[in-house]
Formats: sequence, C-alpha cells, structure tokens
Amino acid sequence: MATLEIKGLRKTFGGVVALAGVDVTIQSDEILGVIGPNGSGKTTLFNTVCGVYRPTSGTIHWNGVDIAGKPAYLIGRLGLGRTFQQAMSFPALTVRENVQIAIEHGSRREDGAGPRWSSAEELLEFVGLEAFAGEVTSVMPFGNLRRLGVAVALGGRPAQLLLDEPAAGLNEGESVQLVHLLRRAHELGVGICIIDHHVGLMAELCARLVVLHFGNKIADGPVDEVLNDPKVIEVYLGGEE
Amino acid sequence: MSLGYAGLMGFGAYTAAILSRDFGLNMWEAMPISALVAALAAGLFGLPSLRISGHHFAITTYVMCELLRIALANGGKFTGAASGLDLPPIGTVLGVKLDKLSNTYMLVAAFMFISMLAAYCIANSGYGRTLRSIRENEQLARSLGVNTNLHKVGAFMLSGLFAGVGGDLQAYNFRHISPDLYGGATSLYFALMVMLGGPRTIFGPLAGAIIVTFLPEVMRIDPVDSRIAYGLALIAVVMLLPGGVITAVGRGYQRVARTLRGRDAVDGSPDPGASWT
Repeated sequence: MATLEIKGLRKTFGGVVALAGVDVTIQSDEILGVIGPNGSGKTTLFNTVCGVYRPTSGTIHWNGVDIAGKPAYLIGRLGLGRTFQQAMSFPALTVRENVQIAIEHGSRREDGAGPRWSSAEELLEFVGLEAFAGEVTSVMPFGNLRRLGVAVALGGRPAQLLLDEPAAGLNEGESVQLVHLLRRAHELGVGICIIDHHVGLMAELCARLVVLHFGNKIADGPVDEVLNDPKVIEVYLGGEE
Repeated sequence: MSLGYAGLMGFGAYTAAILSRDFGLNMWEAMPISALVAALAAGLFGLPSLRISGHHFAITTYVMCELLRIALANGGKFTGAASGLDLPPIGTVLGVKLDKLSNTYMLVAAFMFISMLAAYCIANSGYGRTLRSIRENEQLARSLGVNTNLHKVGAFMLSGLFAGVGGDLQAYNFRHISPDLYGGATSLYFALMVMLGGPRTIFGPLAGAIIVTFLPEVMRIDPVDSRIAYGLALIAVVMLLPGGVITAVGRGYQRVARTLRGRDAVDGSPDPGASWT
C-alpha cells in the first residue's frame, strides 16, 4: 500500500496564501474526496503535490520519498498520476495514440506502480472507449474527453490517482458512469483522491472527505461525519446572522 | 517554430570547410563531424525553448542565427571573414565523378530521401509519439513522466544532425561558403518552405522547397517579383490552406475519392457498405 504524506504544506503567491499549512495523509487503499468552496486551495494542493508549483514550506512524502519541489515528470514516474481541471488530451492524436503514450511511459515504472496494461486496446476497453480508438481527440464529445483523461492517467500505471474535478461538465448519466469507472480502477489497486464540487457524487464515491477553506483544512474524516460537521455546513451554507 | 535552421547548416558547412582546410578531410570524412557540431550547436539554440515558446522563441532563434552570421563575418582567418572559405571538389566515389552537376544532384537527392525516410521512421516510432505528445500538450506529457525539457533539447539536436549533413553537402556543392548564406534571411526562406508546403508533414517541406526554389526558375520570375509572390502566397496559404499545400492536396484527394465511391454506389458497382436487401 502506497502512502502520500503531506505535512504543514504552505503555498503562497505573492501576498495570497493559497495553502496555509495543510496536513493530509492519503493511503492508496482508500477513495478520498477533497471538497471546499472556490479558491479554497484544492487545485493548488494537487499542483503542489504533483510538482507544478514548488511549495513555500512543508513536506510531501510519497512512499517515504521526499517529493516536495521535485519536477512534475519525476513525480509522475514515481506512480503519482493526475488529471486536470480542464479536460486534457493530446488533441491532434487519436484516442489510441493518447493512451499508447501513457502506457509507453508507464511501463518503465518501478515496483509499487499500479496495474500494467498489455495494450492500448485493453485500457480503452476498460474505460469503454474502444469504439473511438481511431478518432482524433480534438473532435470528441466532452464526456468522452473526460473519460479519456482518466484513461490516459491510468495508462501511466499510477499507484495513486489525483483527479481534479473529473465530473465537471458531465451530465448525470455520465457522472454515474465515471463513478463506476473510478470504483473499478480502485478495485485494481489504484488509490483515488478526487476533487469535486458535487457533494452528492463525493458522498456516493468516497469513504473519507477532507474539507479545505481558505487554504486551511477544516475537516477530515468519514463522509457522514464531515458532511454533518457544523464548520463544514457553515462554509457551504453560510453562518447564522 | 525555429528561425535558426540556416545557422545550424552554417555550423555544418563551416566545420566541413575548416576541417578540409586545416586537416585535409574530404566531404565524407567531415560529414559525421559536421553533423555532430551542428547537433551540439542545436542543443544551444534549443535551450531557450525551455523558458519561452511561440513568437518569442522564433525571434530568439532568428537573433541567434544573425549573431552567428556576424560572428562568421568577423571571425578573421579562422572563418575567412566576410569573403568566406573555399572547398575542394567532392571527388570520385566508386568510379562516379560526383563533381559533375547531375551526379551532385543525384547525391543530394539521395541524402534528401534518406533524411525523409529517417524523419518518417522517427515520427512513427514511440520516440516520435513522445515528441508529438509534447507538442500537443506539454503539461499532460510531463504528468505522465515525460522529461519534456530533455526531449525538447534532444529533438533540436536531432534536427541539428540533419542540418549538419545538409551544410556539409551544400558547402561541397557550392565549393565556396560565406556568412550571408547562413543568416536569418535564409532561415526565413526555410520557414517559408515549411509553411507553404505543410508543417507537421514529411512531404510538406519538400513541396515547399519546390515552390520556393524551382517554380520561380521554371516560370522565369524576376527575383524581386518572386519575393512579392512569396509574401502573397504565404498570406494566401495561412488564410486559405492553414495545413499547407500538401495537406490541401491530401484533403482534395480524399474528397474526390469519396465522391467517386458515392457515384460507384449509385451506378450499382460493388460497394462494401451497400446492402442487397
């Protein structure tokens, strides 16, 4: 089981404090949700963990290895995969080529990495995109593009997957399919950590929730407990006058 | 897009000329060294790509190319200064006199086809896919473990190998090289060839080279008029055929093929998609 241990993580942009000393431990055998209002620091947390930003202070350990401030590609190689807030792909390439690139680089991983895919077709079948293998992704419908984002991330053989609002822009049916897909990925041994605004989806998918507010962690625990936490209710619904 | 490719050819050409003058090496002996020197220079040219992109990168490479031209023109005896350097004839290989113009042409054409084949093999390999992934979405490629900085400089160095061989061939073909051959203006012509012919294709640059070099000769267009024509052609291609001439020809061919298939079906000819029920 892989562990991502974040301690006292602080990230500032000039005078703006995006993360004000966050402590979170994420195990790859759980499905963890990160929620919080806009600007609470959720995406900054992912970006700092994944090497897009260098932390101002604090430590990030992945399986005991200090990854704080390491380049994004090295962190990716260590088995920490991610998706992005915007649906991302390699637009001029076909769906097959998109996942092939991920598989080719994922196959070089060391021990402790996630499931190994024998071919692009196997992975496309797993995510339900086999019918679109030859399509160029720039013309794909948005729902499929979101699903492809997960496929590309899984192709990199992550032991832990950080998903940044993978359900944003999806309709209800597509969201249900996404939940189903992420559950199946988790059954293969991939740890799931997901950011989303859709509290219903998070409650259905996650066993544990972390709530961020203005860069601070204000709650961390089982879903029911967190959603009934007065501090969380105040953040989401506003305090009493 | 880089606007410094002529400079990389210059490294290859001047390496060949200096090796010939100082060490007596012939074209074949100098070729791998020219390629290596141009590749190393390309690595330096490519370093700014780690920090900047788009127009800024194009301008930076253009400036580097111009700096090289100025350095060559002020290099004293080592580079032959503004008057440049002379080279000996290519000589004879397996009884074929390569100095004869038609034979030189065939030699250069052979190298061109080898280069195109190499480019095709690279583009369709796993390495080529990795490079395309960086071009398409660098951030996503990085998240998958692709060392994009290393690959970007590596791709530049790879292109430098081709430029070095080209410079070596050009130097021995012209038998006299001077700094003006490798300035920013020449790089602009190379970029024009790529844009007119079709970027991101194997045959596009070849088509562009034919348009820019052969056509004005065949049509006997005045050099000044041809520059005006290039400008107008570039505007027309950018606005009407953004994928270049080769891409437009490919699309036109597909359209005609589709139309003909449709007509065959109407005429009752066998059509794989037709139902007999």
